[in-house]
Amino acid sequence: MYVWEFAALKPYWGLIWQGLLVTVFYTVITVAAGLLVGLIVGILRTTAPRWVSVPLRLYIEIFRCTPLLVQLVWMYYALPVLIGVDMSPAMACFIALSLYAGSFYAEIFRGGIEAVDIGQWEAGRAIGMRRGKIFRRIVLPQATQVMIPSFINQTIMQLKNTSLVSVVAVGDLLYQGSVITATSYKPLEVYTTIAVLYFVVLFPLTLVADRVELRMGAHR
Amino acid sequence: MSALIATNIHKAFGDHEVLKGVSLAVERGEVVTLIGASGSGKSTFLRCLNLLEMPQQGELAIGAHQFAFGKGVRAAGDAQLALLRRSVGMVFQHFNLFPHMSVLANVTEGPVQVKGMAQNEANELGRDLLAKVGLADKADAFPSRLSGGQKQRVAIARALAMKPEVMLFDEPTSALDPELVGEVLSVIRSLASEGMTMVLVTHEMAFAADVSTRVGFMNDGIMTEIGTPEETIRQPRSERLKSFLSRFHETH
Repeated sequence: MYVWEFAALKPYWGLIWQGLLVTVFYTVITVAAGLLVGLIVGILRTTAPRWVSVPLRLYIEIFRCTPLLVQLVWMYYALPVLIGVDMSPAMACFIALSLYAGSFYAEIFRGGIEAVDIGQWEAGRAIGMRRGKIFRRIVLPQATQVMIPSFINQTIMQLKNTSLVSVVAVGDLLYQGSVITATSYKPLEVYTTIAVLYFVVLFPLTLVADRVELRMGAHR
Repeated sequence: MSALIATNIHKAFGDHEVLKGVSLAVERGEVVTLIGASGSGKSTFLRCLNLLEMPQQGELAIGAHQFAFGKGVRAAGDAQLALLRRSVGMVFQHFNLFPHMSVLANVTEGPVQVKGMAQNEANELGRDLLAKVGLADKADAFPSRLSGGQKQRVAIARALAMKPEVMLFDEPTSALDPELVGEVLSVIRSLASEGMTMVLVTHEMAFAADVSTRVGFMNDGIMTEIGTPEETIRQPRSERLKSFLSRFHETH
């Protein structure tokens, strides 16, 4: 019978905490950047002419249909060779994670926008509103309601996906876990702790998501 | 004086020619009803009057707004179209209320966002209009809490809030339960009696005969007959219109 020794992790709490901060930090900045990319790409996909929307589709599918791990490694090792620019692991990870998230968010935005009835556009036009205003005031608020569940889902995955940055030695929670394992020889305790920490961060997020969804659906 | 003049309007969707040169001049204060079988082009024609559909050929003049359509004529831009639509109200078959806004906000959206009216002034206007359509007590409700008839009355108030010169009604009662049709028709009737210029597409033949100054019959993309309700509905000339009316009386 295995005897758990969580006390052995005590000296490493600083590292774990640091790793958790890096994970949360990466999640926040790549979700923000990904949302921006996703919003722009999603809107262009629904409204722009083909010569714009087809390349964007290509971007979306490349990032959706290749493993994020491959994208991270490619951004770090291959892209610098191709464009002749040195890139820090942190930067490579930021770009890959943001574009990856952006590709999924773009599809969520597109789906949400297209789910809004065409009659809503017409009603806006009929009272003399212009395209941009109809989009902002009429369509986007309704699209957002439809999108919220998928959006939260994708964001939860994004936080978990940040664990892949450890392969290019960015010091996130998982990376610190493997470092600590190497010195403490306590893999069970370390990885259990890390799993619990991921859960502790994400579970409340799902609860918030439920409440937001409930509140926003109140007018339906 | 004409409030609206549409001349030789042509519209095709792909190979399908829906409007084959339709003209209509509506005098100020007139109520013109368009009748015809589904697919005759009457709704498409109505939607051409506020340019929700772009004609491929023809001309449209409403108040000071003039548009020409055809090859080599530059298409009107978003801003120009928006300007036209400020003065042309439209009521849709399926209401198309904004579900994320309260009833009052639905009505004030146009004045505030398009005309730049102050919100409190718009609220006052909105409450007046809601009272006029008999929904003063629903100002703070959301559209999902309303019956179909109430929704349509809000939609009418929303269109009126822009103080349009012309009102277009696209089958305003077709999506309603029979017992709710009356309340919407009575609002339209009172608008007519106030002298609002209106073009309606409807299947309510008795109402059309009663409220209209003229009734036009559309068949296969052409306005084949137009005249007083007496002429069009009681003394139809063409066989097409006769058979349309008799089929209509059988089923209603």
